[in-house]
Formats: sequence, C-alpha cells, structure tokens
Amino acid sequence: MPRSIWNGTIAFGLVTVPVKVFSATESKTVHFHEVHVEDGSRIEHRRICPKEGKEVDYDEIVKGYQLTKRKWVELTDDEIAAAAGAQTRRIDVDHFVPVADIEPEYFERAYYLGAREEADGAYALLHKALEKSERAGVGRWVFHNRERTVVLRTLDDVLAMHTLRFDDELVDPSELELGRVSKKPTDREIKMASQLVKGLHTRFDPSNYKDAYRQAVLKLIERKAAGKKIELPEREEREPADDLIAALEASLAGGKS
Amino acid sequence: MARSLWSGSLSFGLVNVPIAIYSGVVDQDVHFRQLHAKDHMPVETHRFCKEEDVEVPYEQIANGYDLDGKQVVLTDEELAAAAPEKTRTIDIEAFVDIADVDPIHLDHPYILMPLGDAQGTLRAYRLLLEVMDRTERAALGRFVLRTKEYLALIRARDKRLVLTTMLFHDEVRPTKDIPKETKKSQQPAKKEVEQAVALIEALGCEWDPSRYADEYQKRLKRILQQKAKGKTVEVPEPEKEPSPVPDLMAALEQTLAEVKRGERRPVG
Repeated sequence: MPRSIWNGTIAFGLVTVPVKVFSATESKTVHFHEVHVEDGSRIEHRRICPKEGKEVDYDEIVKGYQLTKRKWVELTDDEIAAAAGAQTRRIDVDHFVPVADIEPEYFERAYYLGAREEADGAYALLHKALEKSERAGVGRWVFHNRERTVVLRTLDDVLAMHTLRFDDELVDPSELELGRVSKKPTDREIKMASQLVKGLHTRFDPSNYKDAYRQAVLKLIERKAAGKKIELPEREEREPADDLIAALEASLAGGKS
Repeated sequence: MARSLWSGSLSFGLVNVPIAIYSGVVDQDVHFRQLHAKDHMPVETHRFCKEEDVEVPYEQIANGYDLDGKQVVLTDEELAAAAPEKTRTIDIEAFVDIADVDPIHLDHPYILMPLGDAQGTLRAYRLLLEVMDRTERAALGRFVLRTKEYLALIRARDKRLVLTTMLFHDEVRPTKDIPKETKKSQQPAKKEVEQAVALIEALGCEWDPSRYADEYQKRLKRILQQKAKGKTVEVPEPEKEPSPVPDLMAALEQTLAEVKRGERRPVG
C-alpha cells in the first residue's frame, strides 16, 4: 500500500468520514545532481555570510522577512505555523458545486482520499452521494503550514481531492494586450479552420501520450555511460504564414509541414 | 507587462502563429530569506567542490546521474541533445473534448499571446481563437520549457488562447491500492444515499472562485506586522479531530433539518 501523507476527518454536516490522504501524482522527470565538471565530484551548497565571508552553521540561521531595505523581521517556525491557525485535523465540506464548472486553471495538485478502518460505511456513502449528484464538495485543508481550498470528487471507486489556486493567484488573460486586426477572419477562413479542427478531433486517451523527452534523456545517459560521443543537433526555425487561406487550403489537402 | 517565458510558434496544420508564452500564475506568497542570526545578513549560497574544498564557478558545473551505481556526467550542451528537434514549436496534434480531460492530469496554466504586431500573425491568432471559442474542444500539443517536455492543452478563455501543461499518464498513480469501501457490507442503504444526495443538493451552489481567499497569507502578514511592532505571537492549541458518528442516518437527518431551518448555508 502507498504511504499516506495526512490523516484526518472530512466533516459533511454531522456526518464524519475518517480518511487518509495520498499523493495522486509523482513526477517522473529525470533528476540530476550537480557535479564539478573537472573531476566529477559532488557539489555542495554552503551558506556564507557576506559580511563575514565565512560559512554559517544551520543552527545560526533564522527566517527573515524584508520590511525595508535594512530592516528584517525575524520569525520562528512556530510563529510561521501560527498563521496556519489551529492545526486542524478536519476538512469541513460545507457546500457543493458542479464539478464540470471549475476551470482547468484552478486545479493545483491532486490527492486520493483513502478510507480509514473507522470510516464504517461513511466513505462509501459520501462517494455514492457525490457520484449521484455530479457535484464536488468544497472545503479548506491545512497542510504543511498552508491553507488551501480543496474540492472532493469521485474518480472511479475512490474519492479524489484537488487543491485549488486562489483567484488572485491567476493572471486575468485580458490584462495582456492584444493587437488589433485590420481585417477580421473571414467566414471562409473560419469555415476552413473549423474543418481542420473537426478533422483532427479525437477521443482523449491519456495513455496515448508518452514522455518522449524523458526517454531521450535516459537514452543519452546510457550512450554517455557506454563512452559514446554525443552529437549536438542543429535547430531550424519556422516561417510564419503570410497567406492564411493558402496555408489552410494546403493543410486541409493533407499537407504536412 | 509581465515578461514572457518562451517564444516560438504555434502550428496548426500549415498555419504557423508566432507566439509568446506568459505564466498564468502570480506568486502572492510571503517569502522568507535565511538570515545569519548574529548580524541579520541574508546568507548567500555558494557552490563548493566536495573533493577539493574550493568554490566552483557556475560554468564548471555539470549534471551527474547515478546509473546503477556508475556516475554519468552530462554537460548542459550534451543534455540539450535530448531536447526534441522542435523546441520552438508547439504542434497541434489533435483536438479533444474538454469534458474528456480529467482534471487529475492538469498541471500549470500559461497564457499564449501573438508575438510581434504583424497583421499576418494577429489574424492567424484571431482565427484560431474564434474557432476554438466556438467549440467545447481544446487542442493538444507538446511544449518544451527549459529542459522538460510537457503535454499541453490549449483552449480559448477570455478572448485569449490559454495553455495548461499536463502530467503524463504514468505520472498519475493508480487508484487500485488506495483503501476504499467497496465491500457489500460497507454499502450505504438506499435511504441513506437519498438523504445524503438531498443534503448535497440543499448545500449546492454555483462555482464562484471569488468567494475563496488565502486566509493563511493574510494571517501571516498580520503576524509579521505584530512582530515588527515587537509584540509576541501566540501559537494556538491544536484542535481535536472529530470522532466517527455512531449512526449515519441520524446524522444525515439532523444535518438536513439544520439546513432547512437555515442554520447551515452553502458559504465558502
């Protein structure tokens, strides 16, 4: 069984659901460590006080927030934790929204909720009721000294929980200025582009998409380990389309760039 | 205006639109620096070679990887050889129904803007925007940022094209090992499900993101102000976890009654 990262209780009115939280995702990015190119030995990060020019031990370090250029406010870990409010072990789900209405931008990280022994049917009940109502429960979750809005929804036979970004963390796209066009897209251009969209329409199946870059990095590591020389490729840039209609026509005719 | 993170072209069939990519997220968090307790100087991080005990300039740092106990070293230039040929192009490979994309795959939001003000570029961008705005579909493509390739979902939002990077399928963990209640004896009675659905409906409301604010950051800023004035910060007692309810049906009925009396409201 995977390791849980948090234990707590979902409170849904007077109904309580004891749960365990599991991370739903894991990065598969190939990670490197820093080495000195000359001798291949490991690089160490050392903290240096610029005033003394000497290394500073970890126990001589405090957390500071810069108020003015010269003035810092020092906070202890306990004081930072105090901002999280009472260390609560509960998530109050007090309202329910249509899950399909939440725009993709808001979803931050995904977790699974597992039933604890003591759940005694309450997990199955919440799961079934959410599935039937096609809604997601909204609550707040305090985790690692951070508070997040979370939504709870069903995913197959488990409950999934997503942390959401706050509204003020998202850039309003209309703040980015868009240049004016002298001539709007014509009906003919729109019709042709719509045909292209239709022609490229497919049912989304995530298992069809593999991380080709990750595979290439792993292959590169193997080549290097085998003592082979790595060739550095040349890149080419593409030309923007000047004639929209011609480019659309050629695309529809099955042309490949 | 914000700085763009990437520029290149978005290609849709043979139509290439030069674009710049902006982050869709602004960092609103309070950040702390590590200070030397004695003199309140922000400490600097320097890189040292462990073997020789000397400081190493950034240009002399390479990427090490442990391949079955054997260390392999790649320079940044060599690592660049793994990047796909088209690091400056996002090719639209397919169009999919937005409703089919499970949110579990969603990662980071970005905004796509036309690069430069050539009419050809602006018109191609507008065309793509109009067409995407008319459908419930999103474009799928690949996008290389720094040293990683992402699967990306592109759609129209507020008269702009927006992109969300996605996790690959094998980066989403399977649900089979998550403890759940699927045994027959754990299944709720029909009446219980009806009551729970009624409760959800009663507490149902529209999705409105403006009702949620980051209370943690607000409290952190208050604490900083208190501390700056020399006040002490009180650390609250941890709260007790609620205990499981002995009777699900009774709890549901009582909650529903409270909702009907207006004692519980769907507020965020």
